[in-house]
Amino acid sequence: MNWTEILAFARGPFFNVALLIFIAGMVYRLVRVLFLGWSPDKVPAAGSKLGGVALSFLKGILIWPFIPWQKNTFSRNPLIYLAGGLFHLGLFVVIFLGVSHMLVWKSLIGIGWATLPLPIVDWMAAVTIVAMIGLLINRLVNPVLKLISGPAEYLNLLIVFLPMVSGYMMTHHLWFQYEVLFSLHMLAVDVLLIWIPLSRISHFMFYFFSKAIHGADFGKRAVNP
Amino acid sequence: MAEDSIFDEMKKAGISRRSFLKFCGLMAGAAGLNSLPPITESGLPQSLEKGLSAYNKKGFKSFDMVVKALETKPRVPVIWLEFQDCTGCSEALTRSQSPTLVDLVLSQITVEYHETLSAAAGFQVEEAKQAAMKKYAGQYVLVVEGSLPTKDDGIYCTIGGRSSLDLLKEAAAGAAAIIATGNCATFGGIPHANPNPTGAVSVSEIIKDKPVVNIPGCPAIPEVFTGILAHFLIFGTLPELDRLNRPKIFYGTTIHDRCLRRPFYEAGKFAETFDDEGARKGYCLYKLGCKGPTTYNSCATLKWSGGLSFPIQSGHPCLGCSEPNFWDGGGFYQGQSAPLDRPTIAVAGGAVAAGAVLGVGMALANQGQKKSAHHSSEEAEKKD
Repeated sequence: MNWTEILAFARGPFFNVALLIFIAGMVYRLVRVLFLGWSPDKVPAAGSKLGGVALSFLKGILIWPFIPWQKNTFSRNPLIYLAGGLFHLGLFVVIFLGVSHMLVWKSLIGIGWATLPLPIVDWMAAVTIVAMIGLLINRLVNPVLKLISGPAEYLNLLIVFLPMVSGYMMTHHLWFQYEVLFSLHMLAVDVLLIWIPLSRISHFMFYFFSKAIHGADFGKRAVNP
Repeated sequence: MAEDSIFDEMKKAGISRRSFLKFCGLMAGAAGLNSLPPITESGLPQSLEKGLSAYNKKGFKSFDMVVKALETKPRVPVIWLEFQDCTGCSEALTRSQSPTLVDLVLSQITVEYHETLSAAAGFQVEEAKQAAMKKYAGQYVLVVEGSLPTKDDGIYCTIGGRSSLDLLKEAAAGAAAIIATGNCATFGGIPHANPNPTGAVSVSEIIKDKPVVNIPGCPAIPEVFTGILAHFLIFGTLPELDRLNRPKIFYGTTIHDRCLRRPFYEAGKFAETFDDEGARKGYCLYKLGCKGPTTYNSCATLKWSGGLSFPIQSGHPCLGCSEPNFWDGGGFYQGQSAPLDRPTIAVAGGAVAAGAVLGVGMALANQGQKKSAHHSSEEAEKKD
């Protein structure tokens, strides 16, 4: 089996199967959470649930990240907040605003969009990789984090790290031939797709879910989180 | 005739010294020999060093080597077989610019058999081929164009009542070198594309006991073919090959690496549609499906039609025609990053349904277990 064949496998049947496992797995996870049920809430509504949801997202995504010093999490461990924030921002930029990835989305869902110039995406990818290394060191050094980190946590980091690094190397044609790096990148992505529903990386979906639930709760009680 | 050296033949034809040297330069260029490492370090036969000046010994003796080869060697006999092909590679060769096919046939090779180019036809030309194979046994270069059908004993391609498999094995047995030209002969090409009704395979899948030089492309660049022949003539060996048996001098870098639109790729400036303003300004064609990053060939450097242009220069993305399975390698106009295989809506819907059913089933089972556990604990409390 040569690299051309490995690439065809990683971009073809393996990707297909990985995507199906990802879809089925995420739906499974969501259904399981939904079926946990809600505890009865007999509090009379003091405010709008929808308004609460909107405010919750607004604060979580657009306000807190830009005034981090207002949050306890920042003052307790600024590195987690900064590196974590940059990591998520970088991931978003790379996955949605990089031209190659936009073309993947376009081929999957049929619509494309404007993307950022490569140098910007490239720098964001570099920042993301550095942030991940920072987060790993922090996890190894911080006594509390160290205590609560098991193999799954390190595996999470590794499985997200591999597509990032292979993608970066591929863009820059580093050390190996392009199709070798392309193959490694695709294999890493396929593994990631399968791993997401099995791991806490599924928070990419549950984050929005729990933000909405909590926001609605806050909105109903008219409390400002 | 063919035992005379090329130089002798040219002399007989009244070719001047000036023209001969010019031709030598052309040949050196065709073989990509602008300069060479010193022979002692290159691993080439030491005998080549004889008669070279001290200056040349330091590494610039390629021209002398060409002169020497042409002065001492006869023309290379070529037997050209066509199987499941479109004759495109032969057509391209007739448009070769440096050297031209006429130059080639007059001075470098003797084409002993070529279905399209031979003047004779039918049993006469088949007989001529047999005679040539006998006369030049162990000396001729076998060129194969087109893939070979293997299904049903290879009946899907027969010439003179014999299957192509049979013909190839026969011709390969006495060949000094085998060159597979075009994507069909090198990787199966379009006959090999899904669903491959004839069970088409490449030459190297049939011929295992001899090295096969692959010069893929659709068609192969004619100068690549003449370059390989020039190399064979000058050194008597085949050039260094890559993992897919392609000569490294022509397939050493990707189209992307040598592309004139590359700076725009780096800058993230892409043509959005064919012939839009960006495309005309020379922006990168990646979004229009260019396969340049994974395609190894020298279109971007040698170019076509005498160095006039090549597809990307003319505004069309690279199709990746010198790579295996390029017909099945995703849509020609779909971005290269797009997956080759993706679930249909029905299959994706099936995955959603499977996930949902599994989730609901597991949730109900857990609820049942919870209820019964609750029930039994209540009963236990009652007993207490």
